[in-house]
Amino acid sequence: MSKVIGKRVTRVEDKRLLTGQGKYIDDIGTPPNTAHAAILRSPYPHAKIISIDYSEALKIPGVKGVVTGKDVQPLLNPFSVGVSAPVKYYPIAIDKVRYVGEPVAVVVAKNRYIAEDALEKIKVKYETLEPIVDIERALEEGAPILHENVGSNIANHRTFHYGDVDKAFQQADRIVKHRFHFPKYSATPVETYGIIAQYEESTDSYTIHANFHGPFVLHSIMAGALKVPSNRLRIIIPKDIGGSYGIKAGIFPYIVLCSVVSRLVGCPVKWIEDRQEHLAASSSCTDRVTYIEAAVRNDGKVLGLKMKIMDNVGAYIRAPEPACLYRNHANTTGAYDIPNLMLDAYAVMTNKLPTGLIRGYGGQETYFPLERIMQMIADELEMDPADVIRRNLIKKEQFPYKTASGGVYDSGDYEKAFDLLLKTGKYEEFRKKQIEARKKGKLLGVGLAVIVEPSGSNMGYITIALTPEERKAGLPKSGCTEAATISIDPMGNVNVRISTTPTGQGHETVASQIVSEILGIPHDKINVVAELDTATSAWSIASGSYSSRFASMGSSAVYYAAQKVKRKLIKIAAHLLQIDEDSLTIENGQIISKTDPSKSISIKRVAGSAHWNPLSLPEGMEPGIYETAYYTAQAEPPDDNDLINSSITYGFVADLVTVEIDPETGEIHILDYYTVHDAGKLLNPLIVDGQILGGLVHGLGGAMYEELVYDDKGQLLTGSFMDYLCPTATEIPRVTIKHIETPSPLTPLGAKGLGEGNTMSAPVVIANAVNDALKPYGVIIDSLPITPNKVWSMINQSTKQGVSS
Amino acid sequence: MNGSGKVILNAGIEKAWDVLLNPQALKNCIMGCTKLEPVEENKYEAVLSIGIAAVKGKYESTIEIADIQKPNHYKLIVKGEGGPGSVEATGAVDLVPIDENTTELNYTYDAEVGGKVAMVGQRMLNGVAKLIIQDFFKKFNKELAKSEQSV
Repeated sequence: MSKVIGKRVTRVEDKRLLTGQGKYIDDIGTPPNTAHAAILRSPYPHAKIISIDYSEALKIPGVKGVVTGKDVQPLLNPFSVGVSAPVKYYPIAIDKVRYVGEPVAVVVAKNRYIAEDALEKIKVKYETLEPIVDIERALEEGAPILHENVGSNIANHRTFHYGDVDKAFQQADRIVKHRFHFPKYSATPVETYGIIAQYEESTDSYTIHANFHGPFVLHSIMAGALKVPSNRLRIIIPKDIGGSYGIKAGIFPYIVLCSVVSRLVGCPVKWIEDRQEHLAASSSCTDRVTYIEAAVRNDGKVLGLKMKIMDNVGAYIRAPEPACLYRNHANTTGAYDIPNLMLDAYAVMTNKLPTGLIRGYGGQETYFPLERIMQMIADELEMDPADVIRRNLIKKEQFPYKTASGGVYDSGDYEKAFDLLLKTGKYEEFRKKQIEARKKGKLLGVGLAVIVEPSGSNMGYITIALTPEERKAGLPKSGCTEAATISIDPMGNVNVRISTTPTGQGHETVASQIVSEILGIPHDKINVVAELDTATSAWSIASGSYSSRFASMGSSAVYYAAQKVKRKLIKIAAHLLQIDEDSLTIENGQIISKTDPSKSISIKRVAGSAHWNPLSLPEGMEPGIYETAYYTAQAEPPDDNDLINSSITYGFVADLVTVEIDPETGEIHILDYYTVHDAGKLLNPLIVDGQILGGLVHGLGGAMYEELVYDDKGQLLTGSFMDYLCPTATEIPRVTIKHIETPSPLTPLGAKGLGEGNTMSAPVVIANAVNDALKPYGVIIDSLPITPNKVWSMINQSTKQGVSS
Repeated sequence: MNGSGKVILNAGIEKAWDVLLNPQALKNCIMGCTKLEPVEENKYEAVLSIGIAAVKGKYESTIEIADIQKPNHYKLIVKGEGGPGSVEATGAVDLVPIDENTTELNYTYDAEVGGKVAMVGQRMLNGVAKLIIQDFFKKFNKELAKSEQSV
């Protein structure tokens, strides 16, 4: 059990999950008298609500009540959000609907069947308004305005100048520029949103069970919306969450909605979201238009970048947006040494579903234009893309590397990882194969992408949405706090409580590995409880499962809590053995003298003494073994020059993808996907590879399949899995994963977060590979997903001759 | 979504016109129409039960007849809302006499759907629209025959 950190330990969660003993939100019991909610949703993207008549619905036997926006408005504040635009966002439409699927009324009934049937009896009169869905058109003069009191569709706009961009562009031999569009897509966990909400009138308090996984800063926002002190909003997370990939952070408006409905109807309310609701009305990533310009020297060196980025945050900007714009702020220049950067950043509101966290959060939107432009630079200079990448990569000796926008990359050896990638992927060999294939009329392509994977978000980064002057008006935010509690019971057994609300990533397993190694107890004897309860757990605003923060932050909190316990155990043992505590160590369940192994005492005995015989403890020591550690990494608020280190640790991912394209059908066949990772010290390589594969497949979805398509009238066209395509097992290509380990100097175990990297890199590396295959046609892939239809059209509309056939 | 087409009706133009604007005959011809009642001149309230792909449900709608140029031309304006979503459609009907017992009917339509029916049924819509229209005229010719007999 010593040296269990870093081992391929099988997951302690899997037995219960694979034998049907998981405890998900729909598995936990409900309080007596719980009723079930169904939500009436807007069929219009933009309309005024003239009237809502639900008298017929109330007549249906079993219906307990109907709640509309007008009913809840007096009980709620609009959700607060970190921008100065005065957008009023409630969890249900008040007098106007702004996207298809927006809640308009809630029926509460004895069961869901009755509630659903009653929805059809509600008569809503709408006066339709002109919708707007296009990002750039939404910014034009005369565009329909979603929020009249805001006066425009801009929710946030900031401009940043780092280094000397003008000089970089003057000194450049050439400018390479293009416009890119990244699509809006979803996360589709198997388990959808689920809530059981109960209002207690006697204490004016709400108790919520929900598969919410943070960020727990949203707890403050929910309590604010419900107008209750935050300790009157108790949120309890079930033992198991059936996947999320970020999207369940977006459950918070529904938590507030179900809470207030419980209060108005006077009984506990349960709501489980259905799949159509999930696709249309939960959350999604932003779609983003980026205009990127690179100032380039003829040897391939990039001197500076200018980017205009426009994020479509949907109908309402809601927390934690506009974080998608800024989560990658520190790593905007990716893995490259580019000291000059200009950013013009917009968050735009249109008549689409509001956005939020999705695996990769902002990374895929950032790296799609960046890594595409690097390939375009290579094409323009007639250089090998690998050489352009190498010319610009940050060198090993530059770490810790300070980026233009304020990031501090903690560690890395990008060239080593990149060389390993080219060697593993047999890059040179494939290039030769490609030339031969072209002669035979075959379209082979190879794509490269290198990205920096941020993990553990600095709570201060979102305030970059405000100007330095605006920031001064509020309290500064910093850090990335996480907590863990470890206790040993009277019989010497260990319980660990974590607040990282895992959604399937195996936090229980890794926490048990860490505690095992420090306390010398077999990891399978350690009980880890991941059910966060805001009333009884140790937690903080940053707590939760997002920004790959377990390996960097969560594991560190567990580590420090275990160290506290260890210190106490050793102190007690030293006292009982009457020897110096410095001479003691923990091994195989024993606390033992390093110099005289005959002097030892079991952990069970030591911990037992703290409970059964507290008078035997050293003088002044508290009885019991119960230690909580709060941990934060050094993460400063933004400074007056808008420099911000938006994350704590920064990993590295290098991808090489080879494809073959059928020119007759446009079909893309991925031959091989190679990915090299540096996530610092790996805590459990088995879990690591699982996380990498999952993130990669989500990225594959963004690259080739998934999109929430809206027509120009604002109607969602991909509202079921018939039209919203997710990659399944048969679409997953052959994947080869390699690791190098450059430990982080910032975390006690040297670990960095991971699991989102390939979600960020897969869309662009596949685009690069396909574009490379289509090079003879002179086309540029600048939007996703790349479907056979798009490829076929590009080939057929190309004026250039393709390969000879 | 839009479309157009033509059918041959087995009746003279005056006769065809009368039956086309007869609410009871229309109710019999429109697939899933369970109610069609006049609310004011040239305006009806209708209840339609239609299933498109996985989306089945009832639409409460208003049907307005406009731009009437008897016996050659009129427009239909349909607005419906229901559990499955919303429908807004306009149709134009032009009648051309061929001979005493035969009339050619030309139609065009333009329809927009919203909500669930758009989310999951979009790909089916054109097919469903064709089906509904074909079914309409099949039944309509029967209605014409029926009214011939009753004369």
